[in-house]
Amino acid sequence: MDLVANNLSYKPGDQYHLNEVSFNFKEGNLYTILGRTLSGKTTLLKTIAGLLTPDNGEIEFDGKNFLKIPVWERNVAMVYQQFINYPHLNVFENIAFPLKQRKINQSIINEKVMDALKSVGLLGYENRRIQELSGGQQQRVSLARSLVKNAKILLLDEPLVNLDYKLREQLREEFKNLFSKGLADKSILIYSTTDPRETMELNGEVIVLDEGKVLQVGTAKEIFENPNSLKVAEISNDPPMNIIEAKISDNHIRFEGIDLEAPQHLSKLTEDGLKIGLRSSDIELNENGHEFEVELAEISGSETLLHLKRGDTKIIVSIEEVLNFKIHDKVKINFKVDRAYAFNANGKLASSPFGGLNG
Amino acid sequence: MNFKHKYFFLFPGLFVLIGILIFPIIFVVRLSLSGWNSYNPGLDYIGLENYIRLFTDDPRFWESFFRLSFLSVTTVILQYVIGFALAHMVWKDIKFKRFFRVLFLVPMMTTPVIMTVIWRTFFHESLGPVNDMLSVFGVAPKWLTDPVIAKFTVIIVEVWQWTPFMFLLLLAGLLSLPKEPFLAAAIDGASPVRKFIYVTFPLMAPISIGAIIIRLIEASKIMDTVYVLTSGGPGTSTETSSFYIFIKGLREFQMGYAASMSFTYLIIMIISLTIIAKVLTKVLLKE
Repeated sequence: MDLVANNLSYKPGDQYHLNEVSFNFKEGNLYTILGRTLSGKTTLLKTIAGLLTPDNGEIEFDGKNFLKIPVWERNVAMVYQQFINYPHLNVFENIAFPLKQRKINQSIINEKVMDALKSVGLLGYENRRIQELSGGQQQRVSLARSLVKNAKILLLDEPLVNLDYKLREQLREEFKNLFSKGLADKSILIYSTTDPRETMELNGEVIVLDEGKVLQVGTAKEIFENPNSLKVAEISNDPPMNIIEAKISDNHIRFEGIDLEAPQHLSKLTEDGLKIGLRSSDIELNENGHEFEVELAEISGSETLLHLKRGDTKIIVSIEEVLNFKIHDKVKINFKVDRAYAFNANGKLASSPFGGLNG
Repeated sequence: MNFKHKYFFLFPGLFVLIGILIFPIIFVVRLSLSGWNSYNPGLDYIGLENYIRLFTDDPRFWESFFRLSFLSVTTVILQYVIGFALAHMVWKDIKFKRFFRVLFLVPMMTTPVIMTVIWRTFFHESLGPVNDMLSVFGVAPKWLTDPVIAKFTVIIVEVWQWTPFMFLLLLAGLLSLPKEPFLAAAIDGASPVRKFIYVTFPLMAPISIGAIIIRLIEASKIMDTVYVLTSGGPGTSTETSSFYIFIKGLREFQMGYAASMSFTYLIIMIISLTIIAKVLTKVLLKE
């Protein structure tokens, strides 16, 4: 049972929310839609769910025209970024709601709801009112509500984005367990997120979306190793990949008075206007390195993000420990050039350390 | 805050409150203990005589009270059902939504007494347009002179006049509902009908209770419609409590007795509305 879309477009104002989006989702797989906010992720999920009708294009599921089927008959489940539940019902009734719409025997409903509660770790909360729960618990209730109906298509629209750091980590782990537990065997899971780390961790098929357009499709590994354009490199890395305007000639990369020996995969590039892409984690502090000035230092979790500057070049370096820097401090860094990417003047990938294209 | 002149600033409000609310109630109680009528005007104290007469020797008051209960409960139920249907209709995206929203409010903007006069003309048995049209089917109901039909005529006019108010309250309620549960319900497989039963209606319960109580209070004061349409007739078949009290007090000028009826009526209304509110809350909100 495949979910196939052809040239979906949706343009409510003068901006495309979806621009000729096509895909072929297969049963038993997890698909991650990666994109920045307003890239059209929610629109795409809503279109699949049936809450929006696209201006153009078609969706087919199991060989049937999906757009002709009303929302309530589509057998789709959805978890929203803002935890949506029924405020007038308690936890049990909330989870039982989708089942009650199908005239299922009460004892089966009880059993299924209890199973769902167990799988999201909310046993014992059946009689609580929704307002009495924390955000994380509310999101678990709506997750349980979407699991209970065994939908053929499960849509998760940035389900973790409104949770605090700790809960996010914890729920992400639980998602992974749930997905691998065979839940995905019979259904199509579609998970949208802005977080590249989440995408890598979920390790499904990734669709990179920007301004309503599909930029790249591939496994998480492929997207990570060979982002096909500057934009994808930016979207699929957090902090975004550093882009450095440099000149490559005679096996050397030169910028801001720094002269680096070009690695093999970059040495053959000769065209003008090349940009070098280097992940923030591929730059390290080194006593013998090149001097940069600290513009900003932020500590995020257990790592330190250094915003550095030299001439017109600004870069971000992430260091896997908590360090204190002052603004205008001088630091010395080293570039792991063998992990550098090159993009040509119109933003397409020219060479990657993982053997993409010219490498 | 300790401020010497605070009572001075409270005085204007307090004065109005005492003048228009507290004084009249106390005066009615005192009046009900007097035999004030057109022969003996004045507050001569006669004890509970008026109350004894009311509870032992005046079936007309109790009949009018039960008639009032029937009329107000029926009209409010009808107003609620019709008002909800109309509000639900213009809440959805339909064509000419704004036009309908205004149209449904028109009856509320008219003067009730004048509209009742027009309705009386409508329902006139031999000259009114209603029976003129019904003559096609060979029927001519006695809208205003049959003891049973006259009650329903009153109900029709009341429902027409006051459904817009219900409509307005319920529409405001519908517009203030969160959108998310409806999105969830559609995805959870609820058809439009089930969505109404399991989501819209329960979410509207608190507003509904408020609207019903407000209308019940208003409806139990029904007076002008009856006065103009049937004058309580034929016989006493459309006479309500307030109309009967009006007749006793201001036509027959038995002020003392009318005051005792008013006060009894007030107590009954407070008790019964409290019970109704409690019951509605229990049934609709399951609390």
